[in-house]
Amino acid sequence: MKPNGSIISCPLACRAAPIDGSLRRTRATIRKRANLSPLLMTLWVAVMVAVLAVPAITIAADAPRRPNIVIILADDLGYADMGSFGSEIKTPNLDSLAKDGVRFTNFYTHASCSPTRSMLLSGVDTHLNGLGNMNEMIAPNQRGVPGYEGNLNNRVVTLPQLLKDAGYHTYMVGKWHLGKQPDQIPAARGFERDFSLLDGGGSYWNMMNITAAVPKSLFTEDGRYLTKLPEDYYATKTYTDKLIGYIDANRGDGKPFFAYVAHQAPHDPYHLPREWRKRHDGEYDKGWDAVRQERLKRQVEMGITPAGTELAERMWFVPDPIVLAPASRYILGKKMELYAGMVENMDHHIGRLIEHLKKIGEYENTIFIFFGDNGAEGTDLFGMIAGSPGSRDNLFAAINWSQTHPNAWGDPESWVGYGPMWAQVSMTPFSQFKGWLAEGGIRNGLIVSGPAVQRQKGSINHGLMHVADLMPTLLEVAGATYPKTHEGREVPALMGKSLGPVLAGKADSVRTDQDYLAWEVFGNRAVRQGEWKLRWQIKPFGKGDWELFNLAADPAERKDLAAQHPDKVKAMLAVWESYVKANNVILPNRTLFDTMEKDMPQRVTVYPGFPPLIYQQQFVPPKDMLADPKP
Amino acid sequence: MKNSKGFTNWVACLCLAVATIFAMGALCPPQAHAQVPARFYWKTLSDANAVPVIFNSISGNTNPFDPAHTPTAGAELDATMVLGGYARTFSLFDRAAMAAILLPMGRISGDITVAGRAYSQSASGFGDPMIEFDINILGPKAQKNIPDLLRYQPGLSIDLLADLAFPIGEYDNKKPLNIGLNRWYGRVGLPIIWQLGPWVPGRRTTLEFLPALWLFGNNNDYVGQTLKTDPMFQVDGHLTRDLTERLWASLDGVWYYGGKATINGVSGDKLNNLGFGLTAGYQINDNLNLTVGYKSTVNDSGAHDVRMDSFTVSLVYGWHQLVEGMRRLKE
Repeated sequence: MKPNGSIISCPLACRAAPIDGSLRRTRATIRKRANLSPLLMTLWVAVMVAVLAVPAITIAADAPRRPNIVIILADDLGYADMGSFGSEIKTPNLDSLAKDGVRFTNFYTHASCSPTRSMLLSGVDTHLNGLGNMNEMIAPNQRGVPGYEGNLNNRVVTLPQLLKDAGYHTYMVGKWHLGKQPDQIPAARGFERDFSLLDGGGSYWNMMNITAAVPKSLFTEDGRYLTKLPEDYYATKTYTDKLIGYIDANRGDGKPFFAYVAHQAPHDPYHLPREWRKRHDGEYDKGWDAVRQERLKRQVEMGITPAGTELAERMWFVPDPIVLAPASRYILGKKMELYAGMVENMDHHIGRLIEHLKKIGEYENTIFIFFGDNGAEGTDLFGMIAGSPGSRDNLFAAINWSQTHPNAWGDPESWVGYGPMWAQVSMTPFSQFKGWLAEGGIRNGLIVSGPAVQRQKGSINHGLMHVADLMPTLLEVAGATYPKTHEGREVPALMGKSLGPVLAGKADSVRTDQDYLAWEVFGNRAVRQGEWKLRWQIKPFGKGDWELFNLAADPAERKDLAAQHPDKVKAMLAVWESYVKANNVILPNRTLFDTMEKDMPQRVTVYPGFPPLIYQQQFVPPKDMLADPKP
Repeated sequence: MKNSKGFTNWVACLCLAVATIFAMGALCPPQAHAQVPARFYWKTLSDANAVPVIFNSISGNTNPFDPAHTPTAGAELDATMVLGGYARTFSLFDRAAMAAILLPMGRISGDITVAGRAYSQSASGFGDPMIEFDINILGPKAQKNIPDLLRYQPGLSIDLLADLAFPIGEYDNKKPLNIGLNRWYGRVGLPIIWQLGPWVPGRRTTLEFLPALWLFGNNNDYVGQTLKTDPMFQVDGHLTRDLTERLWASLDGVWYYGGKATINGVSGDKLNNLGFGLTAGYQINDNLNLTVGYKSTVNDSGAHDVRMDSFTVSLVYGWHQLVEGMRRLKE
């Protein structure tokens, strides 16, 4: 590893500045030598000009500081939930990053949170880094298999470890979800300072967790497990406060910092200060179909989504909101109001961080990377855990999570999630949501801004990208290299590609049509290669068979083309097999989906306007044909 | 990830909304001796109906059927009074409004002295019916549908209130103690609700005031004499707090000021009296509310002070077409 101050190559970030610095020093030296003869003077100048011609990267020991890096990860934020991605939700601070940087529309995460986080921080496929399945879902046949530990395993080396070794301060605030043991917590995986929620979720107000078996959330601060939370704790605010404190504490030493801001927001439960709850009062009573259409229209206008894009069909078990009573629309709309408030509150605190960096003069030298960790959450997590009367967790919920009145939503002990209909809105125009490998589960909006970005400010890029690309990109930015071994062990190869050429404006994508991305979680699987996607999902979310989609023509995955393109299916299956082999993919022999087809309404195609019965209007006869009954 | 039948229970959403209708506040017309209980002016869905039955057991030195509360030195009166009535909410100019009619009935007995003459008597029958009109002038708009109802939080609400009693109750001009009052009377007031903290059943807290001015016509046949009463200023105050989602309690206070009575030109003292009490309320089901309370005057040691204490039990049955329809469908 290269210590701070050594000769460091940072081609993305430190491109122009070193020459200016060297030039200033050279001029001063020339002035000192002014009493030399004209000939010697000419020679001296010639030598110095030659010196100046040396590429910048070789004089980086005297270079200005490398850029700070801030990764802000939102939990369960949807693709279409930022203003700059077509949302009516107000996200002025995120939009300002988009305006200063670039939006990426073809960016993939995983379908659930810890797998995405593991790839972000290790750059290695989930089946090798320990998150071959989520900790909470490991199947009997996966137990004890390397790669399926349920936590970020010690065979991988992490981004913060490498950045720390390269002379960065490394800070983390927010949700970890990659292991709770002392050797698995953020401090053990490369973070110098941290204030972290180790669990996958829980209250935003206190340490209350979700189940009777795990009633208390675990937090660490600087490597110590907390016995209580700070005064006035509110997750999003406290995380921001802590991070600002860490940044300020080390400002004087001139080292750059890497900050991983893993916000818990807007993951359910939608806990929110009261003043943030009514910013969209009544706005969502109109229902999910209308909001989805409005978002799509804005996306097309912005250039996020190609003109002519069809919305994914409304999921078959979600009704058209026009058939619902106003009261139901109000109750369901209020959930979305709260979600919007969560996003806006998070944006506000991100704004506080941005403002602080501007105030201390670090904003211009900071790379911001913002995205959501997976698709928006359409599953009723609370109902799934606590919904069975008479169960242990139902009793736990009765005691700790029973503030069910709409006016209590947002308070401690309330649990609100917005359901599949709003998750589809969050994932406009895509199909399905978190947990699934349809685009709605794995596609997310990415914003990158700061000194590494040479593309036109405010532009949009449609190149194919993956969360695992961020590690090689940032190592390159920091002038660090990925090792072949770490602490005496061989480490798996990085799966991603540096986005450097794209950020530098030299390429629109770092992938060719032959490069592929692949996913497997909960037994569902998918491969993307070029504009094609091969997908296998359990019924009824999938067909229990391979489906083929052309995402360029059909981003909403409405038309299964497997029957029309058997050769393509065959070719992509071969890709899938090679992925399985290379990454030791073990399909689970038991998942929570196993009984789903039986338990859910039978899947049918949803056609707009069907059945006409519910869309018909009262017939009003012509006035001149009206008459009273005859006697 | 789960059984998606449970993704969203659309029916549950509607039921939650409907069940909230009467939980948001009971319709509960005025109670005995012109005081209304706490939470009376909370608003509910327009076009809701309520029938109250209010039982009072009262003793003191003033006729509880008479809101003027004119004390009679040395009197010892006991009354059992029941008020029955009907109230309906509606929207007027987009504001929440309510009209109610009340009919007091019961009996009263005791010893009373008028113009130096002592009477020991009793009276019973129907009292003077009273109509009440209330309209909100500051606060949330009328609740025309369930979403409006669910959004209701009073914040700081102010109403305009008017009452008028019709002198048609049982009256015997030979007796000083009557159920009917043989004169017109009424009041104007400004019911005020100040929400303190969240509006969540189980955690609601309010501070409520009703400053009101009572106006009285003359009774020209009061045991052969003329009874005049000056206007009386009355302030009711309540600090209310939910104890559970269905149970609440309040600390009640009342101040009477003015209301000097004159009989055949002989004036008494004007009132300046305080009373305090406690009330507990319980929502038995979506339709039925129960309150029990006790109150008593406190600075009542003077011969001409109002002295009165009362136990009150009220049952209010409320209904709305929508709730009844939902219930039928559910059955």
